Amino acid sequence: MNSPSTAAPQVSAAESIDLRQSADPRRILADRVRQLYSQMPLAIVGSFLISAIAAYELREGRFVEIVVFWAGLVVLLTLACAGLYWGYRKSARKIEEAAQWLRWLGISALAIGATWGFAGAVFFPSHADEQQVFLALVISLLVAAGIPIYAVSWPIYAAYAAGILFPFTYVLATFGNKLFAEIALIVPAFYLLNVGIAYRLNGVFDSGFRLRHAYGKLTEDYTALNQRLEQQLVELEEARRQVEASGRKLALFAERSPIAVFEFDPAGRILSANPAAETLFGFSSREMVGRPGTDTLFPSGAKDDIRARWRSLIQSREPVFGLRLSNTRRDGAEITCEWSLTPLVNPENLVISVIVQGRDITQQLEAERMKQEFTSTLSHELRTPLTSIIGSLQLINSGVLGEIEKDTLELTTIAERNGQRLLDLINDILDVEKIESGKLTLFPEVLDLGELVNESLALNRGFADGFKVRLATAGELAQVRVNADRKRLLQVMTNLLSNAAKFSPEGSVVEVTLENIDGGKVRVGVHDCGPGIPEDFRDRIFGRFAQADMSYTRQKGGTGLGLSICKRLLEMMGGRIGFSGREGSGTTFWFELPQQA
Amino acid sequence: MPAQALNRICYVEDDEDIQRIVRMSLERVGKMTVEVVGDPLVAIDRIIAFKPDLVMLDWMMPGMDGPTLYRKMLETPETKSMPVVFITAKASQRELDELRKLGAAGTISKPFSPKDLPEQLRAIWQALP
Repeated sequence: MNSPSTAAPQVSAAESIDLRQSADPRRILADRVRQLYSQMPLAIVGSFLISAIAAYELREGRFVEIVVFWAGLVVLLTLACAGLYWGYRKSARKIEEAAQWLRWLGISALAIGATWGFAGAVFFPSHADEQQVFLALVISLLVAAGIPIYAVSWPIYAAYAAGILFPFTYVLATFGNKLFAEIALIVPAFYLLNVGIAYRLNGVFDSGFRLRHAYGKLTEDYTALNQRLEQQLVELEEARRQVEASGRKLALFAERSPIAVFEFDPAGRILSANPAAETLFGFSSREMVGRPGTDTLFPSGAKDDIRARWRSLIQSREPVFGLRLSNTRRDGAEITCEWSLTPLVNPENLVISVIVQGRDITQQLEAERMKQEFTSTLSHELRTPLTSIIGSLQLINSGVLGEIEKDTLELTTIAERNGQRLLDLINDILDVEKIESGKLTLFPEVLDLGELVNESLALNRGFADGFKVRLATAGELAQVRVNADRKRLLQVMTNLLSNAAKFSPEGSVVEVTLENIDGGKVRVGVHDCGPGIPEDFRDRIFGRFAQADMSYTRQKGGTGLGLSICKRLLEMMGGRIGFSGREGSGTTFWFELPQQA
Repeated sequence: MPAQALNRICYVEDDEDIQRIVRMSLERVGKMTVEVVGDPLVAIDRIIAFKPDLVMLDWMMPGMDGPTLYRKMLETPETKSMPVVFITAKASQRELDELRKLGAAGTISKPFSPKDLPEQLRAIWQALP
């Protein structure tokens, strides 16, 4: 039997820090100083009161002046201490300057001690027995009272007590009285005992401060941790809300989608189906869920193929788009659908489910087929009779069949010209249709553009002659190679040249230029002396059925499709078309193509 | 380029109007001798009998379309080396390329100009090996 291995929580030595040691020593010093100063008012007032009582008791002696002097000294010292206390209270740098404040406090303690030491040393020998006892008692009291006041810093206490006791001890030792000399021996022991107690208390205070800091730090850490936790909780809640909202949105998308949406399990069983799927296949969601998709949605003959596709989808885990398949509805009708399949993969790279979206394209395919059939019919059935009509008229008009009467010739010429117009229109419409449906294929080849321009001029001279317009190049054209579809480029040139000829005044020249321009391109320009392009027509000149004035169609022929076809053809060859010139001063149509190295 | 000038043309076309126009164009403008065949199913025999320099085939015809007839000609020893030009109104570029690969001499698209037709045929003729 396998027993679950329980990993014991391991705490390394480095992690278990004694928090008492981690407190900042500067802050502890500052705390000690604050503690000392907080007791200062009590010390000042107490010391002053005891001094006042002492001065009153000792006034009856030989050295009244010295008592008065001492009392004055006490008043000054009291004022100085009060000043020190006031200075500390007002200081803004209690932490940074803690050491300095401690030093001053030490000096003040020593001064107070020394003042009492002076009192002991001067007044003890000069007074009578009773007052000597009073003095000794006061001095002992002061030494003892100093312990709680100064014990936070034992050296300060040591200085204070030394200030009081050392002069007094000296006086006792040198007084000449055996008892006093013996007391003088006890006093240092008393001093050492008191300093020892102060030292111990100092340690206790220090521990207290450290603990307080450690606790403060713990509290701070805990607060920070708590805040972080709270923040994370807020973020988590927000994330949960967002996920929930996304989920709702997704569900709504599927619910309202006009596209059939299924979820399949990896074995190919339907997990869910949206209302559009129900409508498309005629089954309710409840009828479909749990059943294999192959049994429900596909014709029986296609099942093996579908299963094979499904297996390869689950294996590859790659989404599939635009898959056209034959499907069956509940009523047995066969439809064609376009499917997108998206496997959902978990972090372990296993397929959890597959989202399958489908769209009925039966009608779309039928429409496409009908459009193609129509285009094909238009192409053949209209061109065949036109071949006969235009061919017959051409033969008559060419005169090979014999002389024709002038009026008759005029009419047959009109008939031929209009037959040609009809043919042009059909060709243009077919071109537009091919371009729109993406069925126009170009056959690009590397060719000399100058040569092609010359060829186009030769082809269109006859047409231009009809308008009494001359086509010419501006000098010898440069040899420039481009990669383009020859037939289609000739179509573009024919369009531009015939437009230029149609709109030029009789007797004028249409000039064609060819120049290299920046960016490795070549530009062909067709310049005419026509009326120019009206301002309000400029925006839609490359649009379909665009003619500045519908009366032109009747006057000059043309379908209004030519330039839009030219534009698309040039774009397909990586070029562009444009024009320049002002109304009333002729126009230049130009196109650019990338040069072939 | 063939040694002799282009003279004898056989044209297989079901549309009688176009038959007449092409005949007039080639005879009057081009001064050629023309044999027109209306039924593609009897075309092979008529071509063999007429012995043309060049055969013109319409693309769409009832009974048998131009490309099928051309494939039949290629299978017939007497006609397999004759140059063939297709006259068509609807062939896609892919179909034309396919026929070129099979050996068709050229294609002329409908509507053609009867004035220029003889010239176009002579150009194709002269381009032959």
